[in-house]
Amino acid sequence: MSIRFTNVTRRRALTIAATAVTVALAAAGCGDGGSAPALPGQADGQKVAQSVFDAAPVASDADIPAGSTMDMIRKRGYLNVGGSLDAPLLSQQNPVSGDIEGFDADMAKLLAKYIIGKPEVKTVTIGTQTREAMLQAKSVDAVFQTYTITPQRATQVAFAGPYLTSGLAVAVRKDETGIKGVKDLAGKTVIVGANTPAVTALPSAAPGSKQVAFATDPQAVQALLQKRGDAYVQDFTLLASNAKTNPGMKVVGDPFTTEAYGIGLTREDTQFKEFVNNWLRKIQADGTWSKVWQSTLGSVVEGGTPTPPAIGSVEGS
Amino acid sequence: MNPNQQILFDAPGPRAQRRIRIATVLGALVLLGGLAWAIHRFASYGELAAERWQPFTTWPIWRYLLNALWSTLLAAAATAVLSAALGLLLALGRLSARRPLRWLAGAYVEVFRTVPVLLLVYVTLFALPKYGLNFPLFWKLVVPLVVSNSAAFAEIFRAGIKALDRGQTEAGLAIGLRRGQVMRLVVLPQALLRLTPSLVSQLVGLLKDTSLGFVVGYTELLYSGQVLASYTHLLIQTFLVVALIYLVVNASLSKLARVLQARNGRLTRGRSTAPGPATPPLTQGGTAR
Amino acid sequence: MEALTGHLDELGHGLLTTVHLTVVTTIGALLLGVVVATLRVCPVPLLRGVGMVYVEVLQNLPLLALLVLFVFALPTIGITFPLFTSAAIVIAAYEGAYLAEAIRAGINTVGVGQAEAARAIGLTFSQSLRYVILPQGLRAVIQPMGNIYIALLMNTSLAAAVGVVELTQAANNVNLVEAQPIAVFTGAGLAYMLLALLIGRVTATLERRWAIVR
Repeated sequence: MSIRFTNVTRRRALTIAATAVTVALAAAGCGDGGSAPALPGQADGQKVAQSVFDAAPVASDADIPAGSTMDMIRKRGYLNVGGSLDAPLLSQQNPVSGDIEGFDADMAKLLAKYIIGKPEVKTVTIGTQTREAMLQAKSVDAVFQTYTITPQRATQVAFAGPYLTSGLAVAVRKDETGIKGVKDLAGKTVIVGANTPAVTALPSAAPGSKQVAFATDPQAVQALLQKRGDAYVQDFTLLASNAKTNPGMKVVGDPFTTEAYGIGLTREDTQFKEFVNNWLRKIQADGTWSKVWQSTLGSVVEGGTPTPPAIGSVEGS
Repeated sequence: MNPNQQILFDAPGPRAQRRIRIATVLGALVLLGGLAWAIHRFASYGELAAERWQPFTTWPIWRYLLNALWSTLLAAAATAVLSAALGLLLALGRLSARRPLRWLAGAYVEVFRTVPVLLLVYVTLFALPKYGLNFPLFWKLVVPLVVSNSAAFAEIFRAGIKALDRGQTEAGLAIGLRRGQVMRLVVLPQALLRLTPSLVSQLVGLLKDTSLGFVVGYTELLYSGQVLASYTHLLIQTFLVVALIYLVVNASLSKLARVLQARNGRLTRGRSTAPGPATPPLTQGGTAR
Repeated sequence: MEALTGHLDELGHGLLTTVHLTVVTTIGALLLGVVVATLRVCPVPLLRGVGMVYVEVLQNLPLLALLVLFVFALPTIGITFPLFTSAAIVIAAYEGAYLAEAIRAGINTVGVGQAEAARAIGLTFSQSLRYVILPQGLRAVIQPMGNIYIALLMNTSLAAAVGVVELTQAANNVNLVEAQPIAVFTGAGLAYMLLALLIGRVTATLERRWAIVR
């Protein structure tokens, strides 16, 4: 082993380490102007109490005929759900505990409890590109991912529900005075989340607006604060949650669309869809739905718990 | 430095040395000045504030990231071993004397070098289950990566084998070895030694390719970083930490390979002609949700 | 199929953006690659170190992480580039690191005698690089450079993560409305394949014309 070689290696290692530190410091020498971040475990909705799960309904044997999808799930012992891990308040994985928290995640657990007796859920991360195909290939049993019900999608998959209605709203920087609602966005640059309903809704709601799409919500918020756009259009519960943890932005105006979210199911399985709709009716009637809403979305949205949407009320559901 | 490169300039005389020293001092001043300025902006924006970095001093967060890193390494290792083996077979097939074998291997390599990896992943996710081939999650990521990377490895191996002096093959044949034996005993050992740099960069690229895991739902490091950023609302800090982890892991891999190569390189002659320099990974990434 | 034909306008726009981005980053990466390769062989040790650090850091980091950090971290130091420019700079820098290594390998394959002859007739460092070494070195590594360019083409899809609507994102947007992922993404995949084949064809032609037969 030549001495020259060792010196070169050590020098290289030092240079790399020094660079890493420099890059870290240099790139971290930036921020979005003093907004206080949420510390882990705070502000993103409290977890639903275990008592809610314990009291949740379970299907009787009469509801689950042999050979049906429900029967197969029950025998398997867990429910295969397509969802996200990075949607705060809806389906966010807690890195500390490993659990997935949020409205969508809890609804999935309740459905699992209804079928199997225990809230055993296996979440498969899917994207908007893969949702329909995963359902068609039966790789997942159901999709809980704020899946907006549209007639075009209804030709590919079946929707149970709707189980939640929400709407798109507008958020701007704290010091912005010119924009009071979506009408003021005509001709402006608007930040949207990639593959969200905002992409299709904006052209009609704010004609002439230029869209800039970012892959994740944290990026979109950062972009808004760094003036890459005049406003950020996103689901209003998400915006409310962001505004709560980020004093540099505020929500203006009311939601300007109504998004009806449904549970994605395989298209041909009408029996399973009937089953899931029955379950939805049950938990809406006995107050479980409201309790879950309160613990998750209710922590950021003002006003009382809304009434759950009527099942089958939207075209495609 | 390579003796080739050292010839490009004479050993610096006194004036040149002075010039070099001035350039070095100026350059160092510029770099340090830039660093100091960055830290200054840094302090004025509060990004170094303790609360922003606090999550990264807690063990559970690191446990989460390290678990994700482990998943990444596992997928990368499996892909590396399988695609290297397959790639070697394909390269040998392309160099074979039998035409149908050459043609088949050649077609495979040409096709899978140009097809985007993301497309292969989609095919594994959607098209294959229709024919009954529904793999477990881990293999849904590894199989398309292997198919794509084996084509890349095949090209690297082929270039390395061809770059070897023809005299070696001729000598092997002259002393009575069969073609297969020549390949196995004479050509491959030498070619593989020379190829180590390219192989290692392909390995590093492969590691980064595993970030396609989020498309199939396999929680590897980059996607876990996005989940973490979403949870903590700390976009920049999280990405910095994840980037550092990648840097450390990949740089260690490269250094390890260089150490191994240096140790083995003493056995071969000096010329470090690496025939196939690094190709960046064919990651398509895609948007996460 | 109607999913594709009904949105040709949008998809075509995305394709144009991809081609535009690819061309810009190709030129940028080539320039950066030559510069960094030169840095790595120049007489000043500090510059050699800078070149080495550049290559090490950029080759060992995932492109997505680099994009996110560049787009979101820099503006607060005061440097804000438009999104397309940011994506182009980052991808060019990233691929430039790989190109630098390829060019350096090419320089290594040039015979020692060439460098000796260049020095013997009195050319300085930069002159011998420019007139003797690089022309031969570049021609020796056309094929690996072609591979890097194909990877560059595939990597342009990551620009979608920071707001640039190129082909993959356009396909995503179409799919959002049509819900036909297989048709839409197969179409996009074929487009990428065709572009990659084009790059491969160009590389092969250049290699045949310019490569040095040893």
